[in-house]
This record gives sequence, structure tokens and C-alpha cells, in this order.
Amino acid sequence: MADRVYDLIQLEELSGGDQDFINMMVDTFLEHTPGQLEELIKAQASNDMVTFGAISHKIKPNIDMFGIKKIIQDIRDLEQLGKAGQNNSELQTKLANVKAELTIAFEQLRQR
Amino acid sequence: MSLMKIFLVEDNELYARATKHHLSLNPDNQVEHFVTGKSCLEKLYLQPDCILLDYSLPDLSGIDVLKKVKSSQPDLPVVIVSGQEDVATAIDLLKEGAYDYIVKDENSKERIWKTINNLRENAKLRNELDRLREEVNLKYDFSSIKGSSVPIKKVFKLIEKAIRTNITVSISGETGTGKELVAKAIHYNSKNKKAPLVTVNIAAIPKELLESELFGYEKGAFTGAISRRIGKFEEANGGTLFLDEIGEMELSLQAKLLRILQERVVTRIGSNKEIKVDTRIIVATHRNLKEEVAKGNFREDLYYRLLGLPIELPPLRQRESDIILLAKYFLKLFLEENEMEEMRISEQVQTKLRSYSWPGNVRELKAVIELAAVLADDGIIEEKDLNFNTVGDELDNLVSEGLTLKDYNTKLINYYLKNHNNNVVEVAKLLDIGKSTLYRMLKNKELIVN
Repeated sequence: MADRVYDLIQLEELSGGDQDFINMMVDTFLEHTPGQLEELIKAQASNDMVTFGAISHKIKPNIDMFGIKKIIQDIRDLEQLGKAGQNNSELQTKLANVKAELTIAFEQLRQR
Repeated sequence: MSLMKIFLVEDNELYARATKHHLSLNPDNQVEHFVTGKSCLEKLYLQPDCILLDYSLPDLSGIDVLKKVKSSQPDLPVVIVSGQEDVATAIDLLKEGAYDYIVKDENSKERIWKTINNLRENAKLRNELDRLREEVNLKYDFSSIKGSSVPIKKVFKLIEKAIRTNITVSISGETGTGKELVAKAIHYNSKNKKAPLVTVNIAAIPKELLESELFGYEKGAFTGAISRRIGKFEEANGGTLFLDEIGEMELSLQAKLLRILQERVVTRIGSNKEIKVDTRIIVATHRNLKEEVAKGNFREDLYYRLLGLPIELPPLRQRESDIILLAKYFLKLFLEENEMEEMRISEQVQTKLRSYSWPGNVRELKAVIELAAVLADDGIIEEKDLNFNTVGDELDNLVSEGLTLKDYNTKLINYYLKNHNNNVVEVAKLLDIGKSTLYRMLKNKELIVN
């Protein structure tokens, strides 16, 4: 199995090592974020950049909180590009990165 | 007491749970979570102590929620938590009355923690302030002015009338009749009670300083004016300015005071800017201002301007039926303050208190009672504990008993006999009366020899 793409250090700090809380947070993450990712992809496909910006904004703190380091900058760029209405190749590349990395994170967190 | 009810408005479930968990580490924080702005606004009646508001919500924008909250509960602190790092938005929100603006990043949980603690401290101070205000109100409640005699009841009626409006009130009365107490009762029962009551005793401030004290001054207005100073008129803005001993004010200053009362603006010394003041004026004096006007010591136009609603406080000797009531009240207060045993006032003392002329009025009565309480033995105040230290007219006291001339004569001679070892010859010489007169009075048992 590949290296872990996420890092729970923030959550551990926040909870003071309370495993129940961490499990609850992981469940919540898995419950909401995959759907948000789908919405994000849909918004891009239908060129709805306002929604795209808003959803990126929502996913941003989740990525921060779960320490998915590789895409911390990408999701920020996506929010800005979306707000600027620029559905260009840069956006598409970064969206692909985010999708790939999040998909791995979902899988790894489910098997935790 | 330090329990904080926090409304958390956040549509990001993860972030909301993390924040809630973090804040709940302090058991005094009670966090309620809302996903939409609307659902939070609907629950405002639950009276949260603060709102943590996410800027981008699915239904309303943060600024709309903020405006709505502020329009219904202007004192409720709203902390904006936002993923936006946009300075212009932050400034707009702060201008609309947001308490703080926190950006969601790795430091945000510490900042939220700190902000909540500040708010808790604020709330504690505000509660303390409210409690103290309440206490002051209670202290200057009507009931602090005691009495049921006809003249004092007339005063109560006038005070009630003064409370309902912001008319200027002029209080007159002898020293010690409670002029300041009346001013406080009016202020703390009026609708301006939350604004300050500022008292200036005109007689206690050197006349050179009075002007700057009342009107304030700008930096550099005169030698020694090293910083700007707000005058008493401005300080009392929205509240009440109580000018005690107004009769002592100099004529030149009276002219300035008149102008302020007419224009309702003050100008600080050394400034040419006029500042609007909305201040109720209460004045008091122990002088008869009408007489002072006739003598040319007080401006007639100012006299009429200040007259407003005149309240004349009766001297204590005209409130004979209140004397014992007041004496018992002061005694109770004094005993409570000093944690002393209960004490009563003997019949003889009560008679004496009622017949005394009280030139120092209620203030004197209070002093006499307090001293008597200290001197008294065995829980009862006797005649030996009473000390009337009148500075005023001694004759007033002497004749206050209302005896006949013959009785006064007898009393006087008895007094001399007592102080001169019953030496009839000596007393006759001192009083320039015949020895035989004294012997005859002794024989008729008009005089007492111990």
C-alpha cells in the first residue's frame, strides 16, 4: 500500500488524542467530502464557475484539517480560478490532481 | 454565571464539529450549531451570548445575517469566521459592527478560543456594571428620603413630577435638609438614569478654576493646560448636572452659564467649536435667591431661567412627626453598618429630640444619633448620651422648650445653684438679685437643692 496521503496530527491536537472524536471526524469527512468532490466535477463540466468557486471554498478546510498536503495549494488555486471564471487547462489539471489525491485519501481513511 | 451560550453558524459539517469540540473543552461553553443563517436568526430569542458566524453560508451572506442580528440585538457580539482572506470584506464587516474577524487557517482555533475568553470577560464586566447600577438605583430610591409629615409629602409629590420630565429643578432649603439626596432621587429615577449624574459644588471650587471645570479647555488654552479636558457640562451629557450652592457663583460666570442654558451648547476654553449638550440641570442653594437678586448678587435673568420647578425642603423642626422616624432609621443604619446589638431610644430622649430646634437639620440629627449610639450603655440611649453641639444660635435651642418666663427663671437659677455648690450668696451676687428672693423661692420649693 502506498504512503499515507493524509495526516491526522491536527485532529489529534484538537482532540487531545480522543480516538472517539477522531473516528467521528473521519466518518463525517467520508460522509460529506466525496459528494462535494462530485459536485465540483459536475460544476466544472457544466461550466458553472460560481458554484465551482463556492464548492472549492467548502472543500478547502477539509483538506487542511486532514493534512492532505499535496493538494493544499491546488484547492486554493481552484477557488481563485473558479471565482475568476477561468475554466482553463490550468484549472483542469489542478482539478485532476485534487480528484486523484482525494480518491486515495478516501480509500486510505476507509481502511484505517 | 460564566456560562457562555455560543451560536455557531457554519455549513461545513467538519469544521463545525471541530470548532464545537474545541470550544466544549471548556465546560462553561455551551455551543449550539446551525447550518443556515436563517435557522440561527429564528433562534435568536434564546439569547445567545455570542455568535460565531461563517461568512459564506448556503442561504444568506454573512453580512446580511450580521445586519439582521445587529438590528434586533445591537449588543450581541458577532464574530465572523471566514475562509476569505479579503481585507475589504473584513473592514466592511467590522464597520457593520462585527466584534472580530477570524480567518480559517491553522491558527484559527486559538484565535476563536481567545476571542471567546475575551467575550466572557466582557460579559462578566457588563454584568458587574449592571449590578452596580442597580445597587446605586436602589440606594437612591425614593425610600432613602424618609418621612410621612405633611411638608415632606409635598416634596415627594414635586419629585415625582420632576422625574417625569427633564425640566430644570431648583432645590432650596437650609443646610442639612437633604438637597443632594433629592437631586439623586430625581436623577436615578428619571429616564436618564443610565447616563451620569455629575455634581459640582460651586462653593468648593476656587472661582478661578470654576470656568475651566464647567466648560473644559483645549490643550494650550492657558499656561498649564497641557492636555485637553472635558468640562462637567459635557461629562453630564445625556444625564444630569447638579450645581450645588449655585448662589455662590460669580456674576461674570453667571452670564456664561445663562448663555449655555439658553443655547444648549458649550465652548471649551481656547476653542471656537460649539458642542451640543443635552443635560438636565438641577441647582441647589441654601440662600434665598430672590433676595440675592434684589441685592444685585444674582442675575435676574438667570434666576428665572434656573427656577424651573422649585422644590423647597422643609427644615426638620417643621417636620416634628418625622423626627423619631428618622432617628430610628439612622440608628438602625448605624447599628447595621457597625454590626452592633439592637438598641432603643428612651422616652425622655424621644421627647428631647422632638423639642430641639435642629439648626443643622437631618444631617445634625444623624450625627447626634450616631454619637449617642456609641456612647449608650445597655442597649438604650438615655439623656446622658445626647450631645447637641450647635454652632448656630444658642438662644434658639434655649427657648425651643416654650416655657413661661417664670419657669425659665427657675430653670436658670437652678442651673447656677447646681454649678456653685448651692451657695446662695454667691449665686445672688452673680445674677444680681436679692438673697431674700432666693431664700423665698427655696422655701416655696421652687428651687431644688441637692
